[in-house]
Amino acid sequence: MATLRDIKNRIVGVKNTQKITKAMKMVAAARLRRAQENIINARPYSRKITEVLSHLMSLEKQSGNPLLQEREVKKIGLVLVTSDRGLCGSFNMNIINKTISLVNEDFADYKKNDAIELFCVGKKGFDFFKTKNYRIGNGYPGIFSSLNYETAVMLVNEYKTKFLNGDLDKVYVVYNEFKSVMQQNIIVKQLLPILPQTEHQEEKETDYIFEPDKLSIINSLLPRYLNSQMWTLLLDSYAAELGARMTAMDMATENAKELIRTLNIQYNKERQATITTEILEIVSGANALKEQ
Amino acid sequence: MKEIKLEIVTPSKTAFSGAINSISVPGTSGAFQVLYNHAPILSSFEIGVIKISDSNNNELIFATSGGTIEVLENKILILAESLERPKEIDINRAEKAKDRAKERLASKGKEIDQSRAEAALQRAINRIKVSKNYS
Repeated sequence: MATLRDIKNRIVGVKNTQKITKAMKMVAAARLRRAQENIINARPYSRKITEVLSHLMSLEKQSGNPLLQEREVKKIGLVLVTSDRGLCGSFNMNIINKTISLVNEDFADYKKNDAIELFCVGKKGFDFFKTKNYRIGNGYPGIFSSLNYETAVMLVNEYKTKFLNGDLDKVYVVYNEFKSVMQQNIIVKQLLPILPQTEHQEEKETDYIFEPDKLSIINSLLPRYLNSQMWTLLLDSYAAELGARMTAMDMATENAKELIRTLNIQYNKERQATITTEILEIVSGANALKEQ
Repeated sequence: MKEIKLEIVTPSKTAFSGAINSISVPGTSGAFQVLYNHAPILSSFEIGVIKISDSNNNELIFATSGGTIEVLENKILILAESLERPKEIDINRAEKAKDRAKERLASKGKEIDQSRAEAALQRAINRIKVSKNYS
C-alpha cells in the first residue's frame, strides 16, 4: 500500500504534467489559427491557377508536355507528409501505416524489384523509415519549423527532376487533410504525371489573345500548378497536425484531471485510515492506563 | 478616366485588389501595357517589373519572378509566384543569392541545375535592380 507521501508526490507529478499538456494545447490552438489563415490565403491562387489551366487544357488537348505524359510504370515515388514533432495522437502513425500498406500490398511488385522510392517530409516519417528496409529517395526533416513557399518549390523540384529524367514514372503523395480540428482524412493522391482536369466548365467561349501561344502558357503554368499543389498540401498537413495535437493534448489534460480525482480520493481514504489507527492507539492506551 | 479592376494573387496572399488606370507587365514576348477596354488576353510574363498606375495616378512598382495575366472585360487577374514591393526587398539576401547562383553556374553541373541557377541569378539581379531604382 502506498504511503501518504507517495500519493501526494504522484498528485504533484500529475498536476505538473497536466499544466504542460494544457499549455501545449493552447500553443497548438494559437498556431492552428495562423495555419488556417495561411490556408485561406493560399486558396485563391491555387483555385485560379487550376481554373486557368483547366480552361486552357480543354482548348488544347494535345499539349505534349512531359509532365502530363503517361508511360509504362516501372518506378514509383511516394511522398509522405508527416510532422516534425510528436505528441499529436495517431497523426503520424496513420500516415506510416498507410504507406506501409501501400508499399507492401498495392505496390508489392515494385517493392520486390526495389523500384519504389520514399520521400519523407517531416522528421517523424523519416526517422521511422530510415532504419527499416525501404529505399529512401530523400528525407526532409525539420521543414515545418520554417514553412514557406520556397520549401514547397524545393520539394517539387526534387521529384519533378526525377520524373523528367525517367527515374520515376509515377509519383504519389500520402498526407493528412485538414477536415476539422477533430478530424483528419488520409489522402492518397497522384502528383505526376499530372492528371487532366475532369471538371471542365462549359462557359461562354471568349476569344482570347494568347501570348506567346496556348502551349507556352500551359508549359509555364504546369510547374507552377505543381508548386501550388504542394504548397496547399503542406499547409493542410500542418494545420491537420496542429488540430491533432490540440485534440490529443485536450484528451491528455482530461485524463490527468480524472487521475488527480481518483488519487485525491485514495489520498483522503488513506489519511482517514491513518487517523483512525492513531485514535485507536490513543484510546487503547488510555484504557490500558485506566485499568491499572 | 475609366477604371479597371485588378486582382493580383500570390501563393501566400492576395497582394493587390482594387481599381487602377493602367498596368504594364514584362510579357514573355515583350512587355505590354493594359489600358481600359483592352481586348481579352491571356499571357505569361517573365522575371521583371510590374508597374501599376492606380486610380489616383500613383505609380506602384512590384518586382516579380513571372506568372500569368488574364484580361477580360476590364477585369485583370494576375497569378504571380512571387511579388515584392521595392521596400520589401532584402537587398543583402538578394546579393547573397546572386553570388550563390554565379558560383553554381561557374561549377559545371548537370544541365537542369544550370538552368535553375540561371533562373535564380536572374531573379536576384531583378530584385537588386528594382530595389536600387525604385526605393
